[in-house]
Amino acid sequence: MSNPILELRDLKVSITEKPDIQIVKGVDLTIRPGEIHALMGPNGSGKSTLASTIAGSPTYKVDSGQVIYQGQDITALTADARARQGIFLSFQYPTTIPGVTMVNLLREALKARRGEEVPAREFIAELRETLANLKMSEDFARRYVNDGFSGGEKKRAEILQMGMLKPDLAILDETDSGLDVDALRTVAEGVNALKRPDMGILIITHYERILDYVQPDFVHVLVAGRIVKSGDFSLAKEIEAGGYDPIMKELGLLEEVAS
Amino acid sequence: MAGAQAAQYAPEQAITASRGRGEPEWLGHARAEAARAFEVTPMPTPALRPWKYTKLAGLEIDAFAPDQHFAPVVEGEAPEGGFAGTISHALMDSAQAAVVEARLGSVVHATEGKFVAANAALWTGGAFIHAPRGKTFAGPVSITLEGSQGAIFPRVLIVAEAGSEVSVVIHATSTEAALLASTVVEVVADADSRVRLAFDVRWGPQTQEFAIVRAMAGKSADIKVNTLALGGLLLKQTFETLLEGEGASSTIRGVALGDRDQHFDFVTYQDHIAPRTVSSVAIKTALAGASRAAYYGVTRVEETAKGADAVQENRNLLLSKHAKADSDPVLEILTNDVTRCGHGATVGPVDQEALFYLQSRGLDNRAAMKLLVAGFFSSIARDIDDVVLEAELEAEVERKLSVAAF
Repeated sequence: MSNPILELRDLKVSITEKPDIQIVKGVDLTIRPGEIHALMGPNGSGKSTLASTIAGSPTYKVDSGQVIYQGQDITALTADARARQGIFLSFQYPTTIPGVTMVNLLREALKARRGEEVPAREFIAELRETLANLKMSEDFARRYVNDGFSGGEKKRAEILQMGMLKPDLAILDETDSGLDVDALRTVAEGVNALKRPDMGILIITHYERILDYVQPDFVHVLVAGRIVKSGDFSLAKEIEAGGYDPIMKELGLLEEVAS
Repeated sequence: MAGAQAAQYAPEQAITASRGRGEPEWLGHARAEAARAFEVTPMPTPALRPWKYTKLAGLEIDAFAPDQHFAPVVEGEAPEGGFAGTISHALMDSAQAAVVEARLGSVVHATEGKFVAANAALWTGGAFIHAPRGKTFAGPVSITLEGSQGAIFPRVLIVAEAGSEVSVVIHATSTEAALLASTVVEVVADADSRVRLAFDVRWGPQTQEFAIVRAMAGKSADIKVNTLALGGLLLKQTFETLLEGEGASSTIRGVALGDRDQHFDFVTYQDHIAPRTVSSVAIKTALAGASRAAYYGVTRVEETAKGADAVQENRNLLLSKHAKADSDPVLEILTNDVTRCGHGATVGPVDQEALFYLQSRGLDNRAAMKLLVAGFFSSIARDIDDVVLEAELEAEVERKLSVAAF
């Protein structure tokens, strides 16, 4: 069996500025090359915290446990170092950066990822190709990062960056939220187009619908900071049909959450 | 209290030096009068609002020996009947000398203040740009100020007659030595003229400059002043436009990038006197290390300025917790009939979300800061609309932020 891309070992995470509030309360997860994992769960279960923590957000603090990426303990590594090594987070709410064009951002990000200046000609060729793969116009790249973008455009901009940076681990944090069916299909097709057999993908979602387009190999249910159930794609279908209540009832968790 | 070099600032000395240079009688008298004003005028104090944020405690102008050899280098081709060169040269040509005599000191008066008085008494060389009626300069005029040590008094007079067009770029550099510069730039923009004036400020690390730039805009005249404040220990630039003719417009754009203990102080004064006049001010600073910036801007709309349109903006980005900025925009509106009149001012740190976003794309803190600062400046760079200055700004962001303390 190939070595894992990502391993979370009994990971416990709190908010940096409120260390007494622990959000992730012991998560184990292993993602191997070529695998797509879906992390589902009700609002407030800690999904986005887990995504941000893997990416190295300073908003969160690891209390205990480890984040192992390609065999290396990266728990103490900064976000930029993680990104340069191939971790990519598609943000749930991508921020606006007026004055900085997508081209400038991509250029700097690619330079950082490769550790050297990318020749202009090569950069432009890659950008054109990626835009074409994602059915996006070149206009898009000339705009300021997320400035005046619609919800769908913001998510496509994230996927464009993923396409240029060619990560080994992509974390898609609620990439489906706020999208209509057409936008969702476009974004999902983009993810499929960029998928490589040597990469791992973690899709974080509240709803099952994105998983109809990007089919996961494994589905995990996160409740109150713990993975309470794992399974295959059929688990996502179960949740689609009945919501989270039956699972929590089955595990005797409903009271715990209610309190 | 007189400084160590006070004798060189005395009225007798001003006359003697003027005669020694072979200047006309009227100029010698003007210099002597200015020197007398210098003697009796006190240094500005923080009690004066435009001086609130720049402490001059301990600074004495006459402690610096005037550099008698200083002269601006003027390069540019003037259209027929016009002029682009030093004032000293212009005085040797009777037609140009007549224009100088009529206009020099007509916009900025020697009695207005200590720094201005010192300049009027002691300027050397001078730069005179004259665009005659209806004529356009083929290309931009470049004025280079190269300071070494002591005190220099750069003086620039720009006269744009009716319907003319001229663009001037002033480059300022100096060595590592302590230098004081008191600069006066006068701009006369007659009806329907178009004047572009840019400052490329790269003084050395021990230079302190106090500059006043004042323009008088006639009917439908269009004045644009840009400043790129990069070098110097202390830079105080005052930009004033008197919108005297109907439909005249004034645009002021500035950026400052500070690090270490650099201090930038910008003052703007936009005086709407005639109807339907337009003014727009936007100044942005990004401050690393322990640098600081101050802005005091007044937009005044007189009772006579019906239908005025005025906007004023000052944004300050603090890149380090030791950097500091003060912003004080003021509107004085004396008529009910304005088209638009607004201002905005901000002082704040870098957007932490944007910073994390860039870091999550692999940019280290420094690379992310560079990109954010370039983005912050981009609106001004676009307005300045000069590819050379834009490239210089870009290079400076790269150079300065590669070593600056955050």
